[in-house]
Amino acid sequence: MSDKTLNISWVYPDLLNLHGDRGNVMALEKVAKLMGITPKVTRVDTFSERIDFENSDIILFNVGEVKTVAPIVENLKKYGNGIYDFANRNKVIVAVGSTGAILAKQLKRRDGSTVEGLGILDMNCVERNEIYGDDLYYTLDDKTEILAVQIHIVDFFLENENDALGKIVYGKGNNDSDSTEGAKKNNVYFTNALGPVFVKNPWFAQKIIAEAMKQKGVEIEAKDLSKEFETELKSAEYIKKFIKNKG
Amino acid sequence: MKKIKFIFTLWIGKLLMHFSNVFAKGRGTNMPGAKANKLMPDFIGNFTGIDYSKVIFITGTNGKSTANNMVVHTLRSSGKKVCSNLEGANMIGGIATALIRDSGIFGKVKCEYFSFEIDERSLERIYSFIPAKNVCVTNLQKDQVQRNGEPDYIVSKFRKVFNPDMKLFLNNGEPRAKSFEVFSENVVYYGVGENKYTFKKDKFYDVTMPCPKCNDKIVFDFYNVDNVGKFHCAGCDFKSEENPGFYAENVDFDECSFDCGGSRYIVTNNEPFYIYNYALCIAVCSSLGITSDEMQSAFYTFKNISGRMETLSYKTKVLKYIRIKQENPETLQTALDYITKDKSPKIMLMGLEELRDFHPYYTNTFYSFDVDFESLRDNNIKRFICFSEAVAYDTANRMIYAGIDKDMISIIPNDNDEDILKELDKYDVDNVYLITWLKKFHELEKSTKIYGGDENE
Repeated sequence: MSDKTLNISWVYPDLLNLHGDRGNVMALEKVAKLMGITPKVTRVDTFSERIDFENSDIILFNVGEVKTVAPIVENLKKYGNGIYDFANRNKVIVAVGSTGAILAKQLKRRDGSTVEGLGILDMNCVERNEIYGDDLYYTLDDKTEILAVQIHIVDFFLENENDALGKIVYGKGNNDSDSTEGAKKNNVYFTNALGPVFVKNPWFAQKIIAEAMKQKGVEIEAKDLSKEFETELKSAEYIKKFIKNKG
Repeated sequence: MKKIKFIFTLWIGKLLMHFSNVFAKGRGTNMPGAKANKLMPDFIGNFTGIDYSKVIFITGTNGKSTANNMVVHTLRSSGKKVCSNLEGANMIGGIATALIRDSGIFGKVKCEYFSFEIDERSLERIYSFIPAKNVCVTNLQKDQVQRNGEPDYIVSKFRKVFNPDMKLFLNNGEPRAKSFEVFSENVVYYGVGENKYTFKKDKFYDVTMPCPKCNDKIVFDFYNVDNVGKFHCAGCDFKSEENPGFYAENVDFDECSFDCGGSRYIVTNNEPFYIYNYALCIAVCSSLGITSDEMQSAFYTFKNISGRMETLSYKTKVLKYIRIKQENPETLQTALDYITKDKSPKIMLMGLEELRDFHPYYTNTFYSFDVDFESLRDNNIKRFICFSEAVAYDTANRMIYAGIDKDMISIIPNDNDEDILKELDKYDVDNVYLITWLKKFHELEKSTKIYGGDENE
C-alpha cells in the first residue's frame, strides 16, 4: 500500500515571516487534501531544532528579511551534506522571495559585505538600494500561468538563463534586464512570487505536491480541481485585467 | 549671504502659509514648508532659539501621531509653549511648516518645547538639521512594503542616526524598538503589563519574528496588542526588561485607569494600544519635569485629533468605519479585534483595494495573511461583502481560508458605490462595519448621502 502522506517541513516559520507566507503552508495543506493526500506539516522553529531531511517530502523556506540569509546558511551548513543530499535525491525544496539567496552561490549585501550561499542553484544575488513593488505575472514551461506580486529587494542573476523557473509576462522577476523569473534545478524551486504564491496559484501547489509524491514513489492521478479553484481563477481573471489596464 | 537666503525663504513660506490658510484650508500643514525646503534644502537647520534638549522626536510604524498628540497636549496643558506638527505632516515639509508658523520674521522660534512626529524614512535627514536629544520609538512593524520592503530596511536607517548623545524612549514590549538600547546609555523603557485584554498565541499557524540581535526565534510570553507584549529570544539573552521604568500596570478598562511611574492615572481612551501611548507620554513628560498631577489634569481633557473610527448613516443602517493603513497588518488586526468585541448581529463590508499610493499601482493583499481572521467566524456576522476592482476575490479567499463559509460572502468585483450599497440593501441588519482605505471611505461618505436620500439637491 502506498504512503499517501505528504511530509512538509516548514523551516523557520518565525524567522521567515515577512509577507504573510504562512499562507503557503495553508495552501499546500488545502490542495493536498483536495488531491486525496494527507498533509503532515512539521514546524522547525529555532536553530536548535533539527530539520528531518530523511523523512521530509517538501522543505519550504518562506520569504524573510535579507539579514536572515547569513544565519540560516550558517545553520544549514551544520547539517553537512544534509540539504545537498536532499536536493540530489530530487526531493522538493521551495524558497520564496529574498530567501532564494540561501540557495544561491553568493549574496552581495548593500553594505558591501558578501554572504556565501549554499550554491544549490547556479545564481548570484545583489541586494538593491531601492525597493520595487509591483504585480508579477509569469508562465512556467508548460504555460501554466502564475499571478502574484513582488517586493523586489534582491536582484538574482542566473548563470544560465535556461535554469529560470518561468518567463515574465508582466513585472520584474529576477532582475531589471533578462525577463527571467525564479530558478529551477531538478526539484529545487525558487520564485520571487508573493501573494502568498500557493494561495493565489493552487494549480502551482498541485504540481509541486504531485512531484513530491512522485519522488516518494506515489503516482497521483491528475485531477481536475478547477471547480475547487473557482475563487482563485476569478481572482486571476480580474488581476490580469488590472495589469492590462496599467499599460 | 546664507542668512539672507534663509530669511527670504522663510518669508516666502510665511506668505504661502497665509495664502493656504485663506484659500486652501487643509493644505497648509505641509505645503509651505515643502516649498521652502525645495528653495533651500537645509532650510530647517537655520532656525534659531531651539534648545535640542527640549526637542522630542516620536517615530515608529504605528502610534506616533497619537503619542505626539498626547505629549503636546500634556505639555501645553501644563502651560508650556510647544511647536509641533500635530496635523500628521511628518516629513521634512511638515516640520518646516511648523517652524515657519511658530517663528518670527528672522527665524527665531518662539517656543520652549518641540515635539515632532517623524516619518521613519525621514528621520535621518531631519535629524541632520535638528539633532533632537529625545527620541522615542513606538514600534517597527511591516508597513508600506512597496517603499520599505522589510522592517530591517528602516532598522538599518535608524542605526545610522542613533547615538550616545540621545535619550531614547523605547517600547519594552516590541523587539525591534527595544533593540536600539545599545546606542545609548540613556534609555527609558516603557510598556504595559498583563491585563484583561492580554492574549497568547499558541496555535499552529501563529508566527513571530527573528531576533534583532541573533536572528533566532522571538517568543512572546504574552501580547497586549499584535506583535507587542512581553518577549524573549529562544537563542540569546535578548528580552523585555523585567522592570521597565514606565510600566502601565493594574489596568482597569472599566474605570479607564492604570498605575504608571508611581502614580495612578484616569484616562479617556482605554483601547490597549492607547495605554502604550499613555505610558510613553508619561515617560517623556516626567523626563521633562512635568508632574503627575499636571499629567493627570491633561489626560482628563485629551482628545485624539485623528480618531480611527467614524460613522456614516445610510437609510436605517449605521456604517462604522475603522481606518486601516493599507499594507499594515497591525492596523487591520486591530480593526478586526475591535469588531469581534461587538457580539451583536452585523455585516462586514471589506474593501482591501488595490494599492494606489505609489507607482506602479498593484494588487497586493498578502498582508491579510499576516492577520488572523478566524475570530470573525463565530462572531454573529450575518454577511461578508468584499469589494474592489481587482482584489475582491483575493479578499474573499482570505476569509475562506479562515474557515468562513463561502456562501456567506458576497463578492463585488468593482469599486462602484451604487453596487456596494445595493448589495448592502439586501440584508436586514443595520449594524455595519466598514474596513477600507481613507479615500474609499470619503467616496462612500458622499454616496451614502446620495443613495440614502439625505442629499440636498
